[in-house]
Amino acid sequence: MGLFDRLAGWLGLKKEVNVLCLGLDNSGKTTIINQLKPSNAQAQDIVPTIGFSIEKFKTSSLSFTVFDMSGQGRYRNLWEHYYKEGQAIIFVIDSADKLRMVVAKEELDTLLNHSDIKHRRIPILFFANKMDVRDALSSVKVSQLLCLENIKDKPWHICATDALKGEGLQEGVDWLQDQIKTMRT
Amino acid sequence: MKLKVYRGTALMSESALLDLPSGLAAFFMDLHEPRVPAVAVASGPCVYVYKNLRPYFKFTLPGLEVNALEQDLWQQAREGQIDPVTLKEMLESIRKKVDVPLSVRSLHFLSLETEDMDDFLQLHKQQPIRRQTVITCIGTLKKSTADDDGVSCLVIGTESCHVYVLDPEAFLILSKMTLPAPPTMMDVTGQFDVEYRITVACRNGNIYVLRRESDKPKYCIELSSHPVGLVRVGKNVVVGCSDESLQSFTQKGKKLWKAVLPAPVTTMASMDLPARGFQAVLLGLANCEVQLYRDKNLLSTIKTPDVVTSICFGRYGREDGTLVMTTRKGGLMVKILKRTATFEDRDSAPGPPLAQSVRLNVPKKTKLYVDQTLRERENGAAMHGAFQMDLSRLRLAAAKAYVKALESSLAPMSASLTEPLKMNAVVQGLGPSFKLTLNVQNTAACRPVMNLAVSFLYDESLYRMRSPYMRIPLLVPGLIYPVETFVECTSDKGVSDIIKVFVLHEGKSSPLLTAHINMPVSEGLTLN
Ligand SMILES: Nc1nc2c(ncn2[C@@H]2O[C@H](COP(=O)(O)OP(=O)(O)O)[C@@H](O)[C@H]2O)c(=O)[nH]1
Ligand SMILES: [Mg+2]
Repeated sequence: MGLFDRLAGWLGLKKEVNVLCLGLDNSGKTTIINQLKPSNAQAQDIVPTIGFSIEKFKTSSLSFTVFDMSGQGRYRNLWEHYYKEGQAIIFVIDSADKLRMVVAKEELDTLLNHSDIKHRRIPILFFANKMDVRDALSSVKVSQLLCLENIKDKPWHICATDALKGEGLQEGVDWLQDQIKTMRT
Repeated sequence: MKLKVYRGTALMSESALLDLPSGLAAFFMDLHEPRVPAVAVASGPCVYVYKNLRPYFKFTLPGLEVNALEQDLWQQAREGQIDPVTLKEMLESIRKKVDVPLSVRSLHFLSLETEDMDDFLQLHKQQPIRRQTVITCIGTLKKSTADDDGVSCLVIGTESCHVYVLDPEAFLILSKMTLPAPPTMMDVTGQFDVEYRITVACRNGNIYVLRRESDKPKYCIELSSHPVGLVRVGKNVVVGCSDESLQSFTQKGKKLWKAVLPAPVTTMASMDLPARGFQAVLLGLANCEVQLYRDKNLLSTIKTPDVVTSICFGRYGREDGTLVMTTRKGGLMVKILKRTATFEDRDSAPGPPLAQSVRLNVPKKTKLYVDQTLRERENGAAMHGAFQMDLSRLRLAAAKAYVKALESSLAPMSASLTEPLKMNAVVQGLGPSFKLTLNVQNTAACRPVMNLAVSFLYDESLYRMRSPYMRIPLLVPGLIYPVETFVECTSDKGVSDIIKVFVLHEGKSSPLLTAHINMPVSEGLTLN
């Protein structure tokens, strides 16, 4: 049974939840979403996403629609067209890419200041991915560099992950489930 | 002396260099997968090529022609036919005839003391004489495709005034070109097999453009001061000059524009963003700034903690718009262009405002206008002469009047250093009684003026004054003091005259200042 199935079970609902998966290219978004899918639907090879891909998978209690957005610079202006539909955001960061941490911050700030996001209490889950890489930054360091403590009007959570092994994803998705639950009742 | 390679923010590899490098280039030398670029380091007469961060190949420039006489002399010395002193004398004599310069060995030999000459001769006489040049600059030129990862040739400039294009795989010399002076910098565009331009700045202060078909420069750009940075933007050349200017030329040498810079240029690079169709020039300046120019317009300025000595803009890792800079104290800085950055193209250079080019609705030329223009065209010189003459006269007259005014303190302003005063007069009333107000001001910065008096001079048959002599109170600097008196016109002939006002200092006969008041005609009296 995949991770999402269990989560949906706890929720006891079978509703559509639109989740936007954002982050720079090569941060591991597609790998993470692939890990969250039921094992029989998981892809073996992950190739760079062009534009975006929509992953839908129903579980016993919840129907997930994940927009896996391409993080390549020329596609990042597509993100904002999906902000309205998104009910939760997963923002993935490559903790080993110190050089581009400023770019990730820039994109996050643009996202938080967008008119479709700014005034909504939309939950944001941060995955500080690739924690297995030597010299990767800790999740604390990542949240410092991205100035996450400045996000005051939205629930957020950060966890260190290794998407290749699937480590740390569970904790994050648990948190997101809780948030969606409180949002809906 | 080390070659350091960085990935992201971390140092990836470090290798020691044998000699001081004069240039560095990264290029693809073959089509093997995965595509890993090689690094070429130029130092002395050699290019050291590193592949996969390991030394791979060493290319040495061909030797230069050796003086035949010099060779003969060393031959004889080797065979013992001449002694070191004779060798020295003979070398001295051919050195003066400057056709082919002597080798480094002979020059070294000439600089030795007599007692060291024999040892030197024994040590070196068996080796043949060689004359080597050194590399001054290095660049790369795509071989046959313009692809980003296409194979490139190395282009090297040498102290012997040559430019060589090297084959990337076998390092054969594909092309050799000759310049009038040693090259110092170059910019290479195009593809070797198709068409290319090598723009070279030389030590004689000129820029030459080399092309595919010719082994000599096709165009020459003569500069008024030495080039310190060189970048080609499209078909034009942008040069940073040592006179703190940025200049642009067509490749045929026509000057397009010049921008004045706030500090001397330390380095220059082009900033190309093909995806956005953006092309500009980056300049490192000695005042710890990096400036971005599109044409002659300054788009942006970056302040840096230290003077930037080299700049490279392009793709670094996954970011297309990365600016990498090194600083004089050995720092390495990386900046990434914001995805949302826009560059405002405002013409910041001082010059005519945009509104000036708006066409005005000018009326048709009249016959009078045309006649005048013709007259001006025909007698231009004479008219100018006459005008200049009148102008000079006018200036002379004005100067004379001014001198006179100064000499006799006739002006309503006092030029005296101890009593700088200013006065103006106001006449009020219709007559026969007028009110005369004199506004006196002490224009000194802080010193008050004391012991002043006002006196009037007038035609007593026309006017009567209540108090033709008045004392002025102490004048505090800056304040305006109105001094009032009344004048009565005694004539009924409807005439008016001038009343002269003098401001005097007690005990001095010449006035500090003078004002002439043109009295109005007394209307009141005529009514009577
Ligand atoms: N070492 C390591 N590599 C990862 C991790 N997550 C993803 N990757 C690798 O990072 C690369 C980019 O992943 P991808 O999911 O395509 O990134 P996306 O562009 O954000 O969708 C792939 O080669 C993944 O195998 C991780 O946690 N650790
Ligand atoms: Mg992807």
